[in-house]
Amino acid sequence: MAEAAQAPPRRDHSLFDAELSGAVLNTRLLRRLFRWMKPYRLTFAASGLLVLAASTFQVLLPVIVSLVVIDHVIRGETEHAPPDFGMVDLTAGLSAVLHIHPLAAACLLYAAAHLCWAAAAHAHRLTLTSSVINGLRDLRLDLFSHLERRPSSFYDKVAVGRVMTRVTNDIEALYELLRGIGTLIGEFVPFLVALTIMLTIDAELTLILLLTLPVMGAVTWWFRRTTRELFRLVRASVSALNQNMQENLAGLQVVQLSGREAHNLERYTEINRRNRHNELRSARWETLYGALNDTMAHVAIGIVLYYGAGEVIQDRMSLGSVILFTRFIDMLFHPIVALGEQTNILFRAMASGERIFQALDWDERVREPDRPVALPGRLAGEIEFRRVDFAYEPDVPVLNDVSFTIRPGEKLAIVGPTGSGKSTLIRLLGRFYDFDDGNIFLDGIDLNRIHTRDLRRRIGVVLQDFHIFSGSIADNIALGDPAITREAVMRAASRVNAHGFISALPQGYDTELAERGQNLSQGQRQLLAFARVLAADPEILVLDEATASIDTETELLIQDALAKLTAGRTSILIAHRLQTIQHAGRILVMNGGRIEELGSHRELLEQGGLYSRLHALQFQDNAETGLPVR
Amino acid sequence: MLNSLLRLKPFVRPYRLRLASGIASFGFARVFEALVPFFLATGIDKVAGGDGDVTNQVFGIVAAVAGRYVFVTYARYSVRSVGMRVAFDLRGALYDALQKQGSGFFSTHTIGDMMTRAVADISLVQRLISMGSILLIILVYASIVGFGFMLYYSPALTLLLLPPLPVVYYYARHASRQMGVASKDMQDRLSDLGAQVQENLSGIRTIQAMAQEDNEIARFARTSQAYADAFYRQARINSLMMAWMPSLAALCSITIVGFGGYLVLSGEMSPGALVAFLMYVNMVVQPFRVAGFMVNLFQRAAVASDRLFEVLSLEPEIEDLPGADAPARVRGVLETRNLSFRYGDGLPLALDGISLSIGRGESIAVMGRVGSGKTTLLRQFVRLLDPPPGQVFLDGQDIRDYPLAQLRAQTALVPQVTFLFSETLRDNLTYDDPGREIDSIWAAAEAADLKETIEGFPDGMDTVVGERGVTLSGGQVQRATLARGLIRDAPVLLLDDCFSSVDTETEERILKDLRRLRRGKTTVVVSHRVSTARHCDRILVLDAGRIIESGTHEELIRQDGLYVEFERIQREGAGESDYRGAASPLAFAERAVE
Repeated sequence: MAEAAQAPPRRDHSLFDAELSGAVLNTRLLRRLFRWMKPYRLTFAASGLLVLAASTFQVLLPVIVSLVVIDHVIRGETEHAPPDFGMVDLTAGLSAVLHIHPLAAACLLYAAAHLCWAAAAHAHRLTLTSSVINGLRDLRLDLFSHLERRPSSFYDKVAVGRVMTRVTNDIEALYELLRGIGTLIGEFVPFLVALTIMLTIDAELTLILLLTLPVMGAVTWWFRRTTRELFRLVRASVSALNQNMQENLAGLQVVQLSGREAHNLERYTEINRRNRHNELRSARWETLYGALNDTMAHVAIGIVLYYGAGEVIQDRMSLGSVILFTRFIDMLFHPIVALGEQTNILFRAMASGERIFQALDWDERVREPDRPVALPGRLAGEIEFRRVDFAYEPDVPVLNDVSFTIRPGEKLAIVGPTGSGKSTLIRLLGRFYDFDDGNIFLDGIDLNRIHTRDLRRRIGVVLQDFHIFSGSIADNIALGDPAITREAVMRAASRVNAHGFISALPQGYDTELAERGQNLSQGQRQLLAFARVLAADPEILVLDEATASIDTETELLIQDALAKLTAGRTSILIAHRLQTIQHAGRILVMNGGRIEELGSHRELLEQGGLYSRLHALQFQDNAETGLPVR
Repeated sequence: MLNSLLRLKPFVRPYRLRLASGIASFGFARVFEALVPFFLATGIDKVAGGDGDVTNQVFGIVAAVAGRYVFVTYARYSVRSVGMRVAFDLRGALYDALQKQGSGFFSTHTIGDMMTRAVADISLVQRLISMGSILLIILVYASIVGFGFMLYYSPALTLLLLPPLPVVYYYARHASRQMGVASKDMQDRLSDLGAQVQENLSGIRTIQAMAQEDNEIARFARTSQAYADAFYRQARINSLMMAWMPSLAALCSITIVGFGGYLVLSGEMSPGALVAFLMYVNMVVQPFRVAGFMVNLFQRAAVASDRLFEVLSLEPEIEDLPGADAPARVRGVLETRNLSFRYGDGLPLALDGISLSIGRGESIAVMGRVGSGKTTLLRQFVRLLDPPPGQVFLDGQDIRDYPLAQLRAQTALVPQVTFLFSETLRDNLTYDDPGREIDSIWAAAEAADLKETIEGFPDGMDTVVGERGVTLSGGQVQRATLARGLIRDAPVLLLDDCFSSVDTETEERILKDLRRLRRGKTTVVVSHRVSTARHCDRILVLDAGRIIESGTHEELIRQDGLYVEFERIQREGAGESDYRGAASPLAFAERAVE
């Protein structure tokens, strides 16, 4: 009958395309992000203090070499006392107390400062990482829980892939940001501490050196802007390469049967060539820029030497101070280069942050009752639809004044052409969608007064597109419910005739299934879905049969399983095969959103209505249609 | 390891001059770089001696810097470009090799595995050339040049600096191994997480229908925690490395400050040389720090190279025999003589002594249980599986003597597994020959009952389908696949269970059309449905690779065989007595192979 479920409602791209601000620093976003950091703010603050300490120790190292060793110990300078953090006095004191040469004292001091630096920097990195990953982990879990509770109507409108990347790639971009920020702090704080010392020693030379920074900054900015586009091209051509190959491999049988190998290789080579061109271009830019940082640093050393020589001769600067400047130069340009490296990550992270919060703002939901009715321990299983109207989209009614009652334990089959509203009936019964017009009663209780969670534990729904998860067969039957034991799994499988094929597999119930159960036949998948619903032992069974034709042998197993499944249970079957219909007590014929006929198989055949026509079509046994003439 | 890497030689050879010039200019760059501390030291000593004129030294520094920039840039670019060119060649070769493989290869190798080779392994080889080789060159040059200058200043101090270097190397290697393990662990946890999200959201309706949201959230919390833990572990190891590595290098600095300072005090060395030493030691230590990483790069590239050549050195499974030839248009007479086939040594016979002959214009239905050999039989006729010699004939000529291209142009197989490319419907339907007339495209669409569907799309024939376009229903995809086969109007048409997702009504319509279109041409149909089979000229029933029944519908229905059973079950539905236990495990294996 129907070839497939009715077409899903239209995709709603506006959910994804809502404006992203595109700003590098979006304070509203950062404030919102910080909400997840709050529980870990103390660790975060500690990390800030630690980086200051670490940077100070780091800067002390060249101070010890130049001001203590060169100036004080070697050249015996006493007059010029630039800010040395008391290192000179400390060395002198150490040497007096321990009775060692000042040089040895300086070495001890150097080693101590180095150890302090290493320890403080390590502690800083650990505290920063731990506070941020805890916050991100919480954010990710909140996002996942949020998505997990969006209703079917939401997933009708979105492509799952795009939703998924919010939980994976977008949160991952924030982790990247964490690394980036760590790097930037590690570069900028020592730079600022060094800058302070340099300004105290010789403001003029410091300012001259600082003048080179805007040059470096401008070059970096320009380079990043040029290469951003190039990198985008490379990424695009790489992904085109991969897509082409992936698709060609997936369809290789078609390729070979159509004799397209040479043509396809040519097309691939074309993309490959484009990719090589893009890669070479970006490599050219990268190498031109790559050596620039060291070059500028070396030039700056020249400047320090040139300027410093004059100052020393005129006795305005000590030799050690000049050497100190040359040692600080490395710290000067690194932050800019690092900033350049991190801007892309920053950009991406900001955009990702916006996308994450956009997803957290998707608030479509199925209404839950304020005070849900507690269901009785065991339902009798009477279902009544009373004057139900429904539309997915306004003005396109799908159900029109539908009323019928199913007695406890009755088996009802629903048939009808594509788009007649069959699947919608059971979607409403499972409360996958809200409905306003009319009522559905379960044992006399209004469905809208039952919490969906309670309801779905009592109604077992096998959807037409039921999902087989990758994982073992046993996992697929128990579906993560710890209450379902291995025995229960095997019992359920045996009852629906799945035990036979499962135990014939090399690993039995522990056989790993591929994604979507591709290593099973359609019929085997169906049996597995039956076992799954039986294991959950619902009081009411709702089943939307898969349409694909199944080999005769498995068909037998399915029909037998179906008989056992429905025994003693109120059951609704959306039937696509007449064999299935024969299990039913009554048959409900839907057409255009209305109930067209309702009665037993015999009654409906006698009525000579839509059902009898559908029946005749599938069972015509005269040979007026058929394959080639003899 | 070396042998694996040497296999890459033919791919690198075309670019050997470029590579050599890059390596040479790295050498020049190192010398220029080493001149900077030299000039600085000279300048400092001049100043220390009371002479403030350092113009020459400053010019020296600037000249050295300029020279270094030019050579480094050139060297890096030329080496990296060689990596890119080799990757380009490897990709093309891999693509070509994969296209020549058949079902035998793909039953043991997944597409995911092949993609990993094409993406990750080629990129490892590229990194080996553009990064690994640079690191190796730098290590060698920096050691030579750096130590040369240091020896010039003070041989004694230089010797004292040697002991920490192996320590740095071994620690770096140890740490980078630890890092490798931790990073891999982190990556694995991340892909677990991705896989879980993807599966969960793909099956969200099933999860919600079974009210399993809370369980799933709890499960995700565990996965997410595992990733956070792995991330932290990796960060901790990295941070430890960042703390230890400079501390080991600091051993050198302390030696220079202490012993060097003593030498300066005793007048054996100048203060400038002390500063130069601090710079040179940096130049030498740096490559030792990354040496572990470099070794790792070489090892991984060796594995990658082996994996690539595993594919590149494969022979095509099915090839044209020398001197193969075929008529421009075959008549379409098929014959098998005692055809037996198995998928591999030790496996049971998939086809067991099949003899049949199909005349031109005849229509044949093939029925049987899952795993009875129906698909295997069809595949022989297009040489997707190569039959043994002398067992399958087309127009009286052994099918192995036909060139593949010509054979497949005349025998159209519509496979069971549907597949459409992410292109327009027109491109998909004319996949074998993009130059087809629009009329014939529409005719094929109509024959597959797809015309109205296509007309319903705003872009009609130019509608892009698949992942990047319109999602078609299972039945529509199957009919498009059918149309792609029908459009070829081949003398032999083989339909492999290709109505499974099409409803009976539509199938009847299509079959009616086919009767007209296939007049005078040979057609073989594999089906589960008696309603499909009954109108063929002849019906074959296969069981365990043998023909157990053969004849017209009327003839078979009079026998008391499997066909009658199929017919009764499909008419009446199952009864208790029809329950025959498990479906065959072979069916599972066969699906896994597909």
